[in-house]
Amino acid sequence: MIRERIWTFFRNCAGLFWLIYILAAAVFIAPVQGAPLLKVGVLEEPKTLNIWLASDAWSSRVLSEICQPLFIREPGTLSLVPWLAEKEAVYDPSNLSYTVYLREAKWSDGTPFTSRDVAFTGKMIKDFKIPRFLSNWNFVKEIATPDPRTVVFYLEESMATFLARTLTTPIVQEKEWSSIAAEALKTEKPLVTLLNQKVEKPVGTGPFILKEWRQGAYLFLEKNPNFFGQGRNIAGRDLGPLIGGIIFKNYGTSDAAILDLKKGSIDMFWWGLQAGYVEDLKKEKDIQIITNEKSGLYYMGFNLRKPPFNDRALRRAVANLIDKEFIIERILQGYGVKMHTLVPPANRIWCCTDVPRYCEGLSKEDRIRTAFTILKEAGYKWDEPPVDGSGKVVKGKGIRLPDGSPMPSFTILTPPADYDPQRAMVGTMAQEWLREFGMPVSAKPMAFGSLTEQVKGRRDFDAFVLGYGKLSLDPDYVRNFFVSANDKPQGWNMSGYSNPEFDRLAEQSVKEMDQEKRRKLIWQMQRMIMEDVPYIPLYNPILLEAVRTDRFAGWVSMVEGIGNTWSFCELKPR
Amino acid sequence: MELRRYITRRLIQIILIFFVILTVLFLLFRLAPGDPVSRMIDPAMSPEDAENLISQLGLREPIWVQYLLYLKNFVTGDFGYSFHYGRPVITVIWDKLPNTVLLFTTSIILAAIVGIFLGKIAAWHKGKKLDLWMTIGALVTHTVFLPWLALIMIWVFSYKLGWFPITGIISEEIWLDPDSGIVAKVLDVAHHMVLPVATLFCIHFGSYLLIMRSSMLETLKEDYILTARAKGLKEKVIRDRHAAPNAALPVVTSVGLSLAFSINGGALTETVFTWPGIGRELVFAVSHNDYPLAQGSFLLIALVVLLANMIVDILYAYLDPRIRY
Repeated sequence: MIRERIWTFFRNCAGLFWLIYILAAAVFIAPVQGAPLLKVGVLEEPKTLNIWLASDAWSSRVLSEICQPLFIREPGTLSLVPWLAEKEAVYDPSNLSYTVYLREAKWSDGTPFTSRDVAFTGKMIKDFKIPRFLSNWNFVKEIATPDPRTVVFYLEESMATFLARTLTTPIVQEKEWSSIAAEALKTEKPLVTLLNQKVEKPVGTGPFILKEWRQGAYLFLEKNPNFFGQGRNIAGRDLGPLIGGIIFKNYGTSDAAILDLKKGSIDMFWWGLQAGYVEDLKKEKDIQIITNEKSGLYYMGFNLRKPPFNDRALRRAVANLIDKEFIIERILQGYGVKMHTLVPPANRIWCCTDVPRYCEGLSKEDRIRTAFTILKEAGYKWDEPPVDGSGKVVKGKGIRLPDGSPMPSFTILTPPADYDPQRAMVGTMAQEWLREFGMPVSAKPMAFGSLTEQVKGRRDFDAFVLGYGKLSLDPDYVRNFFVSANDKPQGWNMSGYSNPEFDRLAEQSVKEMDQEKRRKLIWQMQRMIMEDVPYIPLYNPILLEAVRTDRFAGWVSMVEGIGNTWSFCELKPR
Repeated sequence: MELRRYITRRLIQIILIFFVILTVLFLLFRLAPGDPVSRMIDPAMSPEDAENLISQLGLREPIWVQYLLYLKNFVTGDFGYSFHYGRPVITVIWDKLPNTVLLFTTSIILAAIVGIFLGKIAAWHKGKKLDLWMTIGALVTHTVFLPWLALIMIWVFSYKLGWFPITGIISEEIWLDPDSGIVAKVLDVAHHMVLPVATLFCIHFGSYLLIMRSSMLETLKEDYILTARAKGLKEKVIRDRHAAPNAALPVVTSVGLSLAFSINGGALTETVFTWPGIGRELVFAVSHNDYPLAQGSFLLIALVVLLANMIVDILYAYLDPRIRY
């Protein structure tokens, strides 16, 4: 009896399911009419709308349209322009204070934005020691609010990053966070309690506010009627937004997102395209490929704490042997720019242009001859030199250190090809170039977590290929990466570079409040690093983005691409 | 009475196995390379600030303290907070679970129905062309590479023909429209389900067909089938009423276990179709070293599979009176 019931149930279910599918297909076969909203394809959902936890790119992208800072970067020059601030900050060196005057603005819930909100944001960061922001605020001694539209920051010491990093911190509403903060501070682990706070509808001052988030499907930001920039001209740009809102659609793979872009179901795919997609997309008449530089740095680093790379001559020789032209043209398929220093060329103010340019413009033979000369002068010998007596380049064998001992074999660590094929390939090619020169080297791809642990945690390595996809536009990282105080486990000085003169300049650069004087210091630091080459800067990938041109126009290009607040405030429906 | 003793014995076994799984999972995640906070740290963060974050997440405690806390939390039903989402693990899993269950149970049940039906037909026509083609078809669909099939489905039916959405579970046009009623929303979900269900159906139905065919061939040799024929019953009645229900029992086992395993979703299917289920979440949790979320997901899967195994065994005894434990 039961068996027959199971049997009947199975048969009935079959009919029911197919009926639903046929009905569904019949109802929705016609294409759905598009709404006047910008549809953006993304590869992941934001992990949170809690701004204190939002360290991932996807959360930051959504929250950057909701929570606003006092100053932002202008797309043309990348200089800081007042945003929630009304005008430039006024510095008083006598008491190390900055006075910031605020615009008349409202929060998305209609309440006025005041100086108390700014002071509260700083206090929260310091009270909770919020890791993402603390280093930008821990030198702020006091924040005074003489009136609702004036904030005075008193610093403990002069700090060059104050404008670029402290004043670009998103400001949160005191009303929204004060009770949450008070409760969290009473708990055993206040920071974790704060980070675990669920935020469903963040209050902000930005051009958009959250309307609805259906997890796993889409997130809808609608236009904020209280946006302070609406109809205003800021930094010479007329702001809207002129679109009704932004829908972020979630895709599991780039393939699916690109098919939907071609089909017209999304207007923009907010993710760098692989070069392989470009030719196909160029054939579509309503799709435009937009290229911009990233603020990235991909490099080869050395361990200066032990032989063989504690010798500057060897590092310089390797820098000459690495063929950056090949990396750009063959590995990046032309979608990258060569790096000769640590700051990307697009960051025009801070990128030093008169650093030594290893291997620039040299043929393969000339590169080998240059490296050979450097090492020969430093006392290196070969069983079979890579340049023979007649000056002809041949395959070198058995390189020996200046003390006559054979060079110990060394390893270049790289991320695995499934994590980043380009860096893995750079490691393999570097291995080949150095082997031709007679060096006993092997490239070793390893899991990214293990790689960073080995390089940064245990500091047990010879050389590595790593990169930063999104460096801050402020160049303080030049100091961070090489100052000797950061040569400690988990510290940012992974190479173990130690140079008292560099430390002195680095210390000066972080205290220098005059931008032109600071620029000179930063340039000098870059020259010093490129003379000593603890890192060989290799390339900065070009960001390729695809948009449809049939519904919206007016994308604003800047470093890091067209997905920025300026674009979303200026886009016009066609 | 015997059955009750059997169930008690199995429950004790399940508890012991589960404890072993708990321990192995804990060790596996701690032995894996990388650390969970590396993705939260950028060059602007000082090592001291990073250390503060690590300590507050409890990752600086000795490993045995972490293990005891882990056991205590599990016993008290506290799976902890996801490092990544900052939300309770149970909430994250609970949000994704219905989507996975909907997709996978639908496709497995459909595949089982069709597999049983076609397997029955194939066995009935053993050695004939129909049997040959059905068997070849089942083998091909069962062994095809799933992501490839999924992408072909999307290319043909979504991109070229435009019949179905490319990915996702709902259309924002329908769900943001205040005039959309519940029927429109249900149909919208069904519309999005067609391609992933069809893909999973293709992958699964072949195995059910082959199991059913094999079981049916055995059943057709039984004496009671000969008796039915001797009684002069119609061939269709013998096949559908006498042979098929008994032959379907092995498929019940297979379907039961497939349903249990379906809660872990399918990372590949869910990724290609952007189906917001447990499978994608699990891969994400593992790759981001989100220990609490990955552990919570694996434990849930282990528990359901262990229980499903037991239920299938009991069901088997119930459906087939000849089986006794």
